[in-house]
Amino acid sequence: MAEQKSYEKPLPEFRPETKPYWDAARNHELVIPRSKTTGEYFFYPRALSPGEDMTEDIEWVKASGKAKVWTYAIHHMGPTKAYKGDPPYVVALVETDEGVKMMTDIVDVDPHDVQVGMEVEVVFDDVTDEVTLPKFKPVK
Amino acid sequence: MASKIPGVDEAREVLKKNKIVIAGVGETEQGKIPDKSSFHFLSEASKIAIEDAGIQKSDVDGLVTAFSLVEHTFMHCTTFADYFGMRPKFFSSIAVGGATAVWMAAEAAMAIASGQAEVVLCVRGDNTLSGISSSGMVALIREMCHAEFEFPYGLTTPGGYALIAQRYLHDFGATREHLAAVAVTMRKHAALKENAMNKEPLSVEDVVNSRIIAEPLTKYDCSIISDGGAAFIVTTEKKAKELGIQNKLAYLLGMGQGYSHQYLTTLHDLDQIYNAIHTSGQKAFQTAGLSTDDVNLAYLYDCFTITVLLELEGLGFVPKGEGGPFALEGRMEIGKDLPVNTHGGLLSQAHLGAMHHVIEAALQIRGDAGPRQVDDADVALVHGNGGIVSAHSTILLGREPLS
Repeated sequence: MAEQKSYEKPLPEFRPETKPYWDAARNHELVIPRSKTTGEYFFYPRALSPGEDMTEDIEWVKASGKAKVWTYAIHHMGPTKAYKGDPPYVVALVETDEGVKMMTDIVDVDPHDVQVGMEVEVVFDDVTDEVTLPKFKPVK
Repeated sequence: MASKIPGVDEAREVLKKNKIVIAGVGETEQGKIPDKSSFHFLSEASKIAIEDAGIQKSDVDGLVTAFSLVEHTFMHCTTFADYFGMRPKFFSSIAVGGATAVWMAAEAAMAIASGQAEVVLCVRGDNTLSGISSSGMVALIREMCHAEFEFPYGLTTPGGYALIAQRYLHDFGATREHLAAVAVTMRKHAALKENAMNKEPLSVEDVVNSRIIAEPLTKYDCSIISDGGAAFIVTTEKKAKELGIQNKLAYLLGMGQGYSHQYLTTLHDLDQIYNAIHTSGQKAFQTAGLSTDDVNLAYLYDCFTITVLLELEGLGFVPKGEGGPFALEGRMEIGKDLPVNTHGGLLSQAHLGAMHHVIEAALQIRGDAGPRQVDDADVALVHGNGGIVSAHSTILLGREPLS
């Protein structure tokens, strides 16, 4: 059995109010918070809806998992030592079908094939036993 | 035509009544200077500015500082007052990233106008290059983005700007050469500034072919990091005369802020950024009763080449998407349509936020910019942006007071 290499890259610094998001991710589900008062999705999760309603009455809605690349940047250098020696990777802002933006990595693609407007779908990267990061790959 | 912003008439009356001026400036050497602490730079810059104004340290009764990326203090202004040996009547720390230095002048003006102080020292500096540890560097990157929903994806600070630049290139059909042209102009100007860190001429090809950091940005699309300090003295025309200040005075004509976002995740589109820049500029312009046509010199925050184009366009100097050709045609150079960052900016002179932008604007207004002096330096605009084109601030400085 291959040895599990420890994950040295930055892990999310969790806040208590985001737990439903990360629990869903562990179950390979993408959920997006929505205000029960206005029905508006928002991202990133906050404890109170960032709209005029300021409600704490928030539901976590299973997302379609589909999005489009709004912009991307092929990183040739990472932010920490753990990225040293890695090939260039693609950080992107994607706009989901629900109308929110998420920052993510575009994976399973040659970085230079990524384009603004490209259709992508969510995949789940179990980076550690406790943490799963949603990422996106091109829709075939 | 922009609609009238509430409060600008009142703001104009306040600035007209008080005749707020920048009366003295000071800069230390800039570069890799490992044997000076952050507070050493701040003290030295303060001393130079006080001496430039020809006043006594005891004439200064107000203090505005920024923050330090190296010194661990959560009360920056009061800590510096202690180190420098001041017991100010008014003290404040401004911490809005690159929008800070510009807003420090506004903060000083508001303090003076409300009777908190009469002579305010505004100082910013740090030993960012020599003093920051590698874990400090990582912490800095983490703090520039969302630690939970952005940092885990490996975003770097240049990467954040690259995301914006890529969308800009897409929206306007602009090219990497358009971005590179900004760096070329900055380098040309830095050659005329004595304490500039980088003076070797650059061509568009040099910039485009240098090491890629995050596409489309290369090494020369990104600002330098430096050690150093800078300061300016804000007071009123009346007080300046009372103190016998000999320098020509640079009058504050207008000031404004604009907010877009903090995290890129919250950004709807580039128009959100343009609107924030526009609002910031309009507040200053409408207060002063001026427009872009009246501006002789522009000091635009150039942490990355893309920000200059966004600001040039957002402020209304050129239409959206046309900043690139403007830069490529050399129209931002001294002697051309609109000189931008005559000191070389963050891309080539040094990185102390917008401190040098404010100082250079003041020097030009008072006719003391030496080899960089522009003939008709009547009105200068200074724009700062903090975060990733997130938070914006603008001031207008002029040779004559508001009438």
